[in-house]
Amino acid sequence: MWKRVRKTWPGYLFISPAGLLITVFSYIAIIFSLYISFYQYDIISEARPFEGLENYTRALSDKLVRISFRNTFIYVIVIVPSITIISLMLAVLGNQVRRGRALFRTVFFIPTITPIVVTSMLWVWLYEPTGGINKLLEMINIEGPNWLFNPATALPAIMIMTIWGAVGYYMIIFLAGLAEIPEVFYEAAKVDGAGRWHTFWSITIPLLRNSLIFAFVTLTIAAFQVFTQVFIMTQGGPMNSTQTVQMVVYHYAFQRFEMGYASAISWLLFGVIFFFSALQLKLFISRELY
Amino acid sequence: MARTLSDPGSGAREQNRLLLIATRRSFTIIVYVLLIALAFSMIFPYLWMLANSFKSRTDFFTNPYSVIPMPPTLSTYYDALTIGRMGVYLGNSILYAAAVLVVQLFIDSLAAYSFARVDFPGRETLFLAVLATLMLPGSVTLIPTFLIAHGLGLTNTFTGVVLPGFAGAFGIFLLRQFFLNIPRELEDAARIDGSGFFGTYWRIMLPLAKPAMVTLGVFIFLNEWSSFVWPLIILSDWKKYPVTVGIALFRDVNQINWPAVFAGSTIVSFPIVILFVLAQEYIIGGISLSGLKG
Repeated sequence: MWKRVRKTWPGYLFISPAGLLITVFSYIAIIFSLYISFYQYDIISEARPFEGLENYTRALSDKLVRISFRNTFIYVIVIVPSITIISLMLAVLGNQVRRGRALFRTVFFIPTITPIVVTSMLWVWLYEPTGGINKLLEMINIEGPNWLFNPATALPAIMIMTIWGAVGYYMIIFLAGLAEIPEVFYEAAKVDGAGRWHTFWSITIPLLRNSLIFAFVTLTIAAFQVFTQVFIMTQGGPMNSTQTVQMVVYHYAFQRFEMGYASAISWLLFGVIFFFSALQLKLFISRELY
Repeated sequence: MARTLSDPGSGAREQNRLLLIATRRSFTIIVYVLLIALAFSMIFPYLWMLANSFKSRTDFFTNPYSVIPMPPTLSTYYDALTIGRMGVYLGNSILYAAAVLVVQLFIDSLAAYSFARVDFPGRETLFLAVLATLMLPGSVTLIPTFLIAHGLGLTNTFTGVVLPGFAGAFGIFLLRQFFLNIPRELEDAARIDGSGFFGTYWRIMLPLAKPAMVTLGVFIFLNEWSSFVWPLIILSDWKKYPVTVGIALFRDVNQINWPAVFAGSTIVSFPIVILFVLAQEYIIGGISLSGLKG
């Protein structure tokens, strides 16, 4: 053992910069976060009394936290399947066309690489009462709402923008998955006289399983932590209708400096994310691939 | 289709064939129409952004939805750079992105090489420990990372913005996969010629890993350029803000000067568009890979 260590010490040296950073900003960070979630911890005062589970019980009865979890759940339940289904359709349709496939891919990808801050600002303008979206609705004789200032439409408005912005990314994931499916499967299906729809369900979907799992799980994790769009477009308003968990964590941690309490809320969110990721993986992976 | 083949009558067969071609063609047309409509919805907001960034305020208020500015003006860009301070933010963003890009590529590749090639005790466990951090939601690490940076006296500093981004588990993973696929013979030859660990890494492995380094580099740059939450939290002085935080400040002003916002947005997006045009294959390839391996 020691002989091996002596011979391979540069290995440790090489991983040490990365190791140090990852230890500090991931491992120490997460332990520290758990630790302060049991304390009343603000950045200014030196007194940091132990609270036990106080922060957690407080979070469970905090109205703002409840609203934010409800909004976040709605957000996740709507956008995760929407993005998955739409981007899958785009990939399958995009795969059918011969001419301009690369061009479509590039165009659909533009919203994905544009910084979310820029896209959000742009949509604030599009969602104005006389903005681009309502102008479009006017053409088909629908009177559009004041999207971002109406509690009933603010969250849907943010969801629509997010779906619009993310489908290009997952389309690429699915296109890559489709390219991996051997052509012989489709030829065999054709010989057997299977229709388009049947082929899609019995060949494309099962063989895209890995891409589907990836899309679903990563989307869910990201969606639970939605922040930037909300921060730019509505700041959680109107009347807390777009308040998300991460917004509330930010509010308590960096506006009211209740770091301990905010950490407890972030651990509740972590718990929820962990539960759903594990559930999804279990559901997907237990299905036999044929 | 199977039914067509079993049909004995040649006239009916011909009719069926034509019908089949017709349905297939109309299907293709529907697909094209749908894709083109969606493509328009993707590109139009950005066209508006670009067009409006060249409009004078009166032109913008009278025709906010025209795509051609009448007459085009550059005063919006002047406003964005001076009143909107985009010049300062742009300089900061370039600095942050460049620093994270160079340092992270170096640190990640060094670690990845070591994980791929040096058989030190505990290697598998340590590599798993690196990978496990990919599962951590940023939501949980945000507050403690801020407190650690605060404890190190890094709030509102250049170092504070970039330091947590100096190493990345994803980068280490990606580069390690690449290094594993490079034949060992090349290194053995170098080692016989008297190259040490670092010499082999620097002179042999890095040049060979160029495609993976470019892919990772593009992702690091895009990430850092778009990063918003961390600089928002760690910085308090506008002179140090990156473009993303800077442009969000436009929103705080009551009367939004939209043409200047669009000019600012165009400035923010410009480097990314250039990068995308130059490195599209690397970006698409990288994303495809993450989906397949994931």
